[in-house]
Amino acid sequence: MIFELLAGNLTHGLLLGGVYGVATMGLSLIFGVINVVNVGHGQFIMVGAFVTLILFTALGLSPVIAIPVALIIGMALGFLFFYTVMRKLIKAPELASLLATFAVGILLEELAKLIFGADFRGYYWDVGKIILPFTTIPMSKLYAFIGSIAIALFLYFWFSKTRSGTAVRSVIEDSEGARVCGVNVDWIYALSFAIGIGITVMSGVLLTMFIPVGINPYMGGAYTLKAFVIAVLGGLTSPYGAFFAGLIFGLVENGAYTLFALIPGVAPFSLTVSLAFWMLFFLLLVKPTGLLGKK
Amino acid sequence: MKKNIVKYYPLIPVLAVYLIMFLIGFFMPGMWQMVALLAFYCALGQSWNIFMGMTGYVDFGYVTFIALGTYGMSLGITYFSQFEWLGMGIIVIGLILAMFLAALAALLEAAIALRLRGAYFAIACIGINEGLRYFIEGAKIWGGSEGLIFFGALTQSLGRETVNQLTTFWADFSVFVIAALAAFLNMHYMRSKIGYALTAVREDEDAAKVMGVNTTKYKTLAFLTSGLLGAAVGAMAWGLKLGHVYPGDVFVIHYTIECIVVVLLGGAGTLLGPVVGGLIYGLSKYWLAIIMPGFQLLIFAPIIIIIIVAFPEGVIGVLKQRVKRTALEKYIV
Repeated sequence: MIFELLAGNLTHGLLLGGVYGVATMGLSLIFGVINVVNVGHGQFIMVGAFVTLILFTALGLSPVIAIPVALIIGMALGFLFFYTVMRKLIKAPELASLLATFAVGILLEELAKLIFGADFRGYYWDVGKIILPFTTIPMSKLYAFIGSIAIALFLYFWFSKTRSGTAVRSVIEDSEGARVCGVNVDWIYALSFAIGIGITVMSGVLLTMFIPVGINPYMGGAYTLKAFVIAVLGGLTSPYGAFFAGLIFGLVENGAYTLFALIPGVAPFSLTVSLAFWMLFFLLLVKPTGLLGKK
Repeated sequence: MKKNIVKYYPLIPVLAVYLIMFLIGFFMPGMWQMVALLAFYCALGQSWNIFMGMTGYVDFGYVTFIALGTYGMSLGITYFSQFEWLGMGIIVIGLILAMFLAALAALLEAAIALRLRGAYFAIACIGINEGLRYFIEGAKIWGGSEGLIFFGALTQSLGRETVNQLTTFWADFSVFVIAALAAFLNMHYMRSKIGYALTAVREDEDAAKVMGVNTTKYKTLAFLTSGLLGAAVGAMAWGLKLGHVYPGDVFVIHYTIECIVVVLLGGAGTLLGPVVGGLIYGLSKYWLAIIMPGFQLLIFAPIIIIIIVAFPEGVIGVLKQRVKRTALEKYIV
């Protein structure tokens, strides 16, 4: 019985983990390239969720179409945000960039509240389901998982095979060296920031398949914190590390929830969230370069 | 001896501002609540600035200390108010518990997180804050997410009249005292070996280490001081004044952000900065809440961004440059 439950929850955890991975890749990319922790990260996920919701409910378009739309909106937001705010803060002390990204997060939250109100919303994308012996998986979740793998692979090929991807990697490695070799570092900063935000907004689309009635202007904060844990797990500067760490995190989260639920007299949900942060803290302590990061 | 006093001159404008605020609140009817709010922001800014201003480390989880302070006071009152003979002693016990919890957290955090730098440190601090909050909720200790409500217990053991006095006057008054104490400690650290060591840490930690500065010791000291002051503010302004505590209300990163905004508005690493920042932030928040309730954050967010981008030194940072080589130089630090 418990094993069935565990197997079922771990399956869901793996599917969600893929989305977590994509949701964190942007954070890692931005930290890797411009060395800024985007504290307003989750709010961009919220933007993606609202994009999907509007396309689905107002225009009747499927979430599949929302993915490219979210990428375009996200990249536009990324460029806007980079050229108006972040460009001047790359060399500034952390205090400035942390506060600025947080303020942008608040701005997005408040704008979303102004436009859509503070209610919880959701939509239901009915595309059938798969029945396994131990659990039932809605096809929408499976599509989200496939989508997350596709996005991760796409990013992988962009990184390793294209010219601009190689330039980004060189900037992560050594920005001064890259500048000397003729890489337009300032453009790479802007581009990778925009792509980072773009992926994040896109992950918001995928995430909506997992939260049937959880779309809300203030949903982002929780995901910012989860993304921190995942990013540190993956080594903080490595987007692929982040993807695999996302899978691990999804499994751990759902597995731990199942086990905590067996303990009488506790609130398993909160304990699971708390476990994630103790994990983060412990990890920073023993291996700040991340589980999958290099020494 | 004279030289010793001279070095505390910059405290004069700070204390003068606090005194004026207090007098306005005390003698002008209806002003006390606003003045108390301003003192709250000044005290928190000043306390946060002790650590950040001198070391350059950004403690994003500072609210942990405020929250633990609140819990200390709440626990003290909840569990000790049944002993009638303690009387006002329960508040002292609450404050001691607040200090104890905050010290424990600060030392643990310092031992572990302070080895990290920059973004990693900020993330670790957020992690500790959230971890604690959800642990309290999840393991259902200290009332779990239902929190502790002890206003009734407090009234029962001290009497309605006393409690009224305590919550409407003495709780706020003690925030003034903490603010002044924070300013004094900040000044004291700045003008002693501790300050020089911490400045060295801020400029180049590795170099400071090589030169034989015990960076860990001084960083821990500043961290602890900053945390204890924050906990005292929490114990008084949230614990004693409100009479209840819920984990979801106190372990909220937004309050750290408020501290940062206060410090940044006034000027990071300056003594007068948090006071000016606290006044500007507190007044504008108070005013915005009146003229457009519900939209404060929408207005604040772009303002914060503009300030960071356009003038990161803050009001006092700019003023300090202006008064260089004038008679005022001694007073504005």
